[in-house]
Amino acid sequence: MVCDVHCMTHSDSMINAFENLRLEMRRGFLVLAVLASLRSEQYGYTLRKTLNDQAMEIDEGTLYPLLRRLESQGLLVSQWREEEKRNKRFYRLSPEGKKVLKQLLTEWDGMSLSLNEILKEQHHGAY
Amino acid sequence: MELIDRYLQAVKFWLPKAQSEDIIAELSEDIRSQIEEKEGELGRALNDSEMEAILKQVGPPAFVANRFLPQQYLIGPLLFPIYRLVLQIAVLGYLIPWVLTWIGLMTFGQNYRAEHYSGSLIRAVGSLGSSLWVAVFSTLGVVTIAFAVLERTQVLTGALQNWDPHKLPPVRDPNRIPRSSSITEFIVGVLFLIWWVATFSSQTVFRFTWIQITLAPVWRYFFWGFLFVSVVNVGLAAANLFHPHWTRLRAGIRLASDCAGSVLFCWLLKSNFLAGITAPNVAASKTLAITNAINWWDTKMVPAAIVMCVVIAASDVYRIIRIKETETRFTPGVAAAVL
Repeated sequence: MVCDVHCMTHSDSMINAFENLRLEMRRGFLVLAVLASLRSEQYGYTLRKTLNDQAMEIDEGTLYPLLRRLESQGLLVSQWREEEKRNKRFYRLSPEGKKVLKQLLTEWDGMSLSLNEILKEQHHGAY
Repeated sequence: MELIDRYLQAVKFWLPKAQSEDIIAELSEDIRSQIEEKEGELGRALNDSEMEAILKQVGPPAFVANRFLPQQYLIGPLLFPIYRLVLQIAVLGYLIPWVLTWIGLMTFGQNYRAEHYSGSLIRAVGSLGSSLWVAVFSTLGVVTIAFAVLERTQVLTGALQNWDPHKLPPVRDPNRIPRSSSITEFIVGVLFLIWWVATFSSQTVFRFTWIQITLAPVWRYFFWGFLFVSVVNVGLAAANLFHPHWTRLRAGIRLASDCAGSVLFCWLLKSNFLAGITAPNVAASKTLAITNAINWWDTKMVPAAIVMCVVIAASDVYRIIRIKETETRFTPGVAAAVL
C-alpha cells in the first residue's frame, strides 16, 4: 500500500518533470516555427492550423502574444484586411525578420549537428 | 454568440486600454473561425455547451489576458534571495523573542496567567497569536515595501551586479574551532577556577563589612561538581587550541560536561542553597524574608534554566551529528558506494 502510494507519486513527478522539460524545449522551437511559417503571409487562425498540422500545437493564448512580441521587435509586419466578410490581421516576415530567421536557421543547424554528435558518442559509449 | 461577447468583454476587462480593442478583435476572429470550422464539420450551428467547450479550451479570461501583458514582478530574481533571507531573519527576530516573552509571562506573571489561562491551553496560545500576528505581518509588510522600492530604484541591483569574486567570504568549515574562541574559553576557565577554589574551597560563611552570607551544607556538592566540570572544560579548551577541529570524542566530552553542568545548575536553583543572611542593622525577620525570597526566585527560575540547558544540549548533539555526517561524506569507501 505504502509502495503503491510512493510509486504513484514518483511516477507522477517523473511525468511532470518530462512535461515541463518538453514545454521548455518546445518554447524555443515555436519562435523558429512561427517565423519560418510566416515567410508567406497568414492570419492567426490559419497559422495556428498550419502549426497544428505539423504537430507543433500552439494555443491562442501563446500564439497571439508571441506574434505581438515579434512584431514589436520588428521581425514581423501585420495588416488588418477584410477577407470572407470578416476583418483579419495578416502577418508576414519583415525584411529584418528574414535576416534573423536566416541567422536562427544557421544556429539551429549548428546546434542540431552538435547534439547529434553528442548523442552518437553517448550511443557508442553505451556499448 | 452572446456567450462569446460576454467572454470577450471579460478578457477585455484585464487588458490595458491602449491595446484592448486590437487584441479583442484578433481573439474574437480566432474564436469565430474555430466555431465556423466546427459548424462546417457538424453541418449545423453549435449549441451552448459546444460553444462553452470552445471557450473553456481558450482559457479563463484573466489568464488569457495576462498572456498579452508584459511580465511584472514586485521583487525581481536578483533581489529575491536576499529578500527571503531578510524576511527569515526578521520573522525569527520577532518570533523567538515573542514566544520567550510569552513563556516568561505565563510562568512568572501571575496576573497575566490569570487573565489568559482559564484552563484551556488553546485559548492561552491564542492570546500569544493575536498580538504576534500583528507584529509578524507588519514586519513582512515593511520588508516587502522596502525591497519593492529597492527593485524600482535599482539601487541594490547595480551594486549586486558589480560583484568581485575576491570579496566572497572564505570557505566555511563548521567543524573547525576558531583559535580565538579556544583561547578565550581557556583564559576565562582558568580565571574562574582560581576564583572558585580561592573563594569556596574552605568556607560556606562569607563575612563582609556590613553583611554575612551563609550557604547551606549542600553547597559542598556544588563546589566539587562545578570544580570538576570547569576542569574538564579548561582541559577541552586546551585540547581544542592545539587540535582546532572537532572530533566525535571531544564533542562527546563537551556534551557530557554541558549536561553535568546543566544538572548541577538546575539542582542548585532548586536546593535553597542560601542558608541565611545577617546584617547588624537589619532585623532578623527582614533578612529571613530576603533569604526566602532569593531561594523562592531561584526555584522559579528552574523552568527557564531547563529550557536553556536543553537548547545547549541540543546544539551539542547537533554538533556530533554534523561531525558524523562529515566523516561519512569524506570516507572514500562510502563515497564510492554512494556513487
